[in-house]
Amino acid sequence: MTMPVTLSAAVEPDEQVSLWRDAWHRLRANRLAVFGLCIVVILVFVAVAGPWISPYDFLSQDLEATNQGPSMAHWFGTDDLGRDVLSRVIYGARTALLVAVVVTGIALAIGVTLGAIAGYVGGRVDAVIMWVTDMVMSVPSLLLVVVINTSLKPPLSAFMDARYLATHNPIWRQTIWIDFVLVFGSMALILWPPYARLVRAQVLSIRNRNYVTAARALGLTPGLILRRYVVPNALGPVIVAVSAGLGTAMVLESAFSFLGVGVRPPTPSWGNMISDGLRVWRTYPHLLAAPAAVLGLATVAFSFLGDGLNDALNPRQWRK
Amino acid sequence: MTDPLLSVRDLAVEVSTRRGPARVVDGVSFHIGRGEALGVVGESGCGKSITTLALLGLLPPGARVAGGSARMEGKDLLTLSRRALREVRGGRIGMIFQDPMTSFNPVLKIGDQLIEPLIYHRGMLRREAWARAGELLRLVGIPGGASRLDNYPHELSGGMRQRVMIAMGLACEPPLLIADEPTTALDVTIQAQIVDLVKDLRARLGMSIIWITHDLALVSGLVDRVIVLYAGKIVEEAPVDDLYARPTHPYTQGLLASLPTLEGEETRRLPAIGGTPPDPGRRPAGCPFAPRCPLRVARCESEMPPLVAVAGGPHRAACWVNAKPQELAA
Repeated sequence: MTMPVTLSAAVEPDEQVSLWRDAWHRLRANRLAVFGLCIVVILVFVAVAGPWISPYDFLSQDLEATNQGPSMAHWFGTDDLGRDVLSRVIYGARTALLVAVVVTGIALAIGVTLGAIAGYVGGRVDAVIMWVTDMVMSVPSLLLVVVINTSLKPPLSAFMDARYLATHNPIWRQTIWIDFVLVFGSMALILWPPYARLVRAQVLSIRNRNYVTAARALGLTPGLILRRYVVPNALGPVIVAVSAGLGTAMVLESAFSFLGVGVRPPTPSWGNMISDGLRVWRTYPHLLAAPAAVLGLATVAFSFLGDGLNDALNPRQWRK
Repeated sequence: MTDPLLSVRDLAVEVSTRRGPARVVDGVSFHIGRGEALGVVGESGCGKSITTLALLGLLPPGARVAGGSARMEGKDLLTLSRRALREVRGGRIGMIFQDPMTSFNPVLKIGDQLIEPLIYHRGMLRREAWARAGELLRLVGIPGGASRLDNYPHELSGGMRQRVMIAMGLACEPPLLIADEPTTALDVTIQAQIVDLVKDLRARLGMSIIWITHDLALVSGLVDRVIVLYAGKIVEEAPVDDLYARPTHPYTQGLLASLPTLEGEETRRLPAIGGTPPDPGRRPAGCPFAPRCPLRVARCESEMPPLVAVAGGPHRAACWVNAKPQELAA
């Protein structure tokens, strides 16, 4: 085990590579993590390649073939409007992944920034930021998103309509963006606190490390020290949290779509499809089963991958 | 000594404890001339590091400066604004830390860490700074020089890292270099190399040095003058040769006696100073060394002796018995 590592370090001067290679070895030894990684890779591929691999247009209706069961022509069957369920699941993967990545990205940016500032500056700033964090965490997330969406969507739509009537600029017709902005924004708003707390805890231990004192003794500014010395060293556990967080964001998006406050139809979303399928599941179970199974699989995959990454990257667990 | 580079007066540092504030540095005064090398000696916890950290405003949370002044180049370091203090750190005072293993950011190449003070204090462009960093590595005797800039800290040995740290401290050619036990974490042979390197750099660059250590023997060839700290107080101050020839304070005598000598009889046990330094929160009213002192008299327990000249020279000590300050006071 040590031999190849030393050799690779000798050949490749960048040890960063062998550190990650080490983690990669540990990850590969974990069967559940490999399973999760495969599913995630497939999911990403399907989402990216969606328009090229989906057998039908997700919107094209065939009213002579509604509610069909699985067949060679329609692997997952068709829905009540004769749309191909497989195509809709594939496009749903695009929505789910887009939401997961963008929302996690925004939540991460907010969480890392606030958490790092709270942990490094400390004192009153820390108290205020943590107070806000706790407050956001204490509000039931579904409720918060429902309130944001229902209170902001109508006035925003009305504003857009008014702008369109006044200017006739087609930009104002793109109401689908309201959907995305509101859904992304409100989800990011409820998902950032855990990242903030995680990063704060990391920063609290890192701010007193010798290299941070050494950087201060060189006269570097707090902002520079935070960006270059503290945050990069705090990100290890965050990688793990992000992996699990992507799954959480996917489930959350489906939950909101299921409740009708997420992405609006006809944009395909697994949550929408589950919601539609639930009404007819006694007669056409495949309409529920297909999106639900895919959502479940994706969530489990991200969770396994997160666990695997945790084991591979967390040195305290290596000795177990 | 007409125009000292740095002049510290009555510096006091308090640490808050559960039993209230404890003075870990108590009325320390010293000065250092341009180009002079000063050794600060004492055992762990006597306030050596805290003294220098206080000068740079780098005291750990819970510790604060409780009084005194530290004048350098017309400014009092202890009352500077944060911005002005950042100019001093790295720009006017370079600092070398004890543990080269943990004093580098593990995710940055050493080049990236070396150029930061140059960019920040000297306004250099990245490319110029990188070239200068290469020169610095050659200056501190790193084989391969500039080619090492692309290495990460863990790819260098402890001795090499300590050399890089010295390069970092000297990057902006500060007039004062503070070395906080820079050799403690190194092998004995490497320690000697580092001391030689600093001696050589001092000869070439002419900066002043404050060298903090608990190893009197190590610095004997490096520094001009030595301050002996005990329990946050200066107990003796003398030119280095004088200190070895005529240690006056019983604590200094004990320190010197505990050093192994090459000529000594082989079977001799090294004498140690019995006991431990007093808890900073509960220091005795008189001389802090009194409870461990073999020469203790009644007065030691009640009254702190002042630091007075011994034999009329620059040699000063604070001891009722050996320095005889009562005769001067009378």
